[in-house]
Amino acid sequence: MIKTRTWIIIIAVIAAVAAAAAIAVRFFLPAGTTAEIVKDGKVLYRIDLDRVTEEYKIEIGDEDGDRNTVTVRPGMIAVTAADCPDKICVAAGWASGERPYPIVCMPHRLTVRITSGDAGADAEAR
Amino acid sequence: MSGRKSAGNAAKRIVKDALFAAIALVIFVVEAQIPPLVPIPGVKLGLANIVTVWVLMRVGAKDAFGVMLTRVVIGGIFSGRIVFSLAGGLFSFLAVLILKRFITDRQIFVAGVVGAIFHNAGQLAAAVVIYRSPSVLVYAPVLVLSAVATGLLTGLTAQFLAQRLRVPGE
Repeated sequence: MIKTRTWIIIIAVIAAVAAAAAIAVRFFLPAGTTAEIVKDGKVLYRIDLDRVTEEYKIEIGDEDGDRNTVTVRPGMIAVTAADCPDKICVAAGWASGERPYPIVCMPHRLTVRITSGDAGADAEAR
Repeated sequence: MSGRKSAGNAAKRIVKDALFAAIALVIFVVEAQIPPLVPIPGVKLGLANIVTVWVLMRVGAKDAFGVMLTRVVIGGIFSGRIVFSLAGGLFSFLAVLILKRFITDRQIFVAGVVGAIFHNAGQLAAAVVIYRSPSVLVYAPVLVLSAVATGLLTGLTAQFLAQRLRVPGE
């Protein structure tokens, strides 16, 4: 049998590697100011946040009755309302070029992510 | 006579496993009332895991599988996220079942940690494969970290329970 101390070391190593990876992930996030609103794997909206001049809201709904309100401001984007049970997407706050962590609403299969891609001509394309 | 006896045992087993599943469900529903502490999908205490780990270590693999499946299906109806619960439940069950051969009664906490890590891995896999949201992988390291912490908590609880609590009816 494996010694208890060995198990503790294995768990500590896993935790240390995960902690290092959690910090390292920041450097692999895309640098950009284009936001994509993705539902069920499909990009619904592509918005260049640098070209947003005033705040507006986008309602994302589906046939299941799932609703999310995405708010776009100059340089930043957030899910500001949702009828999902946990509201983790709302608690996640604002994503931007400086803070490019994706906002995920898992129950509604919705992701708001920052990409390095150019919004270009299809800005806000459906 | 032996037929009646085994039928009695089967009934006893169903009653016991149903009781364990009910305990797990109550824990699950109570935990769901706690607002998320961290705004990262998948980070949660997973207290119902205590019941599954304890049943697997003390009662049996088939019983633990039944309890886990019942908890996941009924819990999924409450939470509306059955696909995730199922993926997480199956992944962690298989991982802990394999791990069981390598741990002693004083190392049940390891089962808590491994179960929690694989539960999150299963959910991430479901998110990527079924819901095509590869973005969530960004949170994989944080999910492993939180699984180590919550898994130690639930695993140690299951271990203390296993040392102090006898299986009812035995």
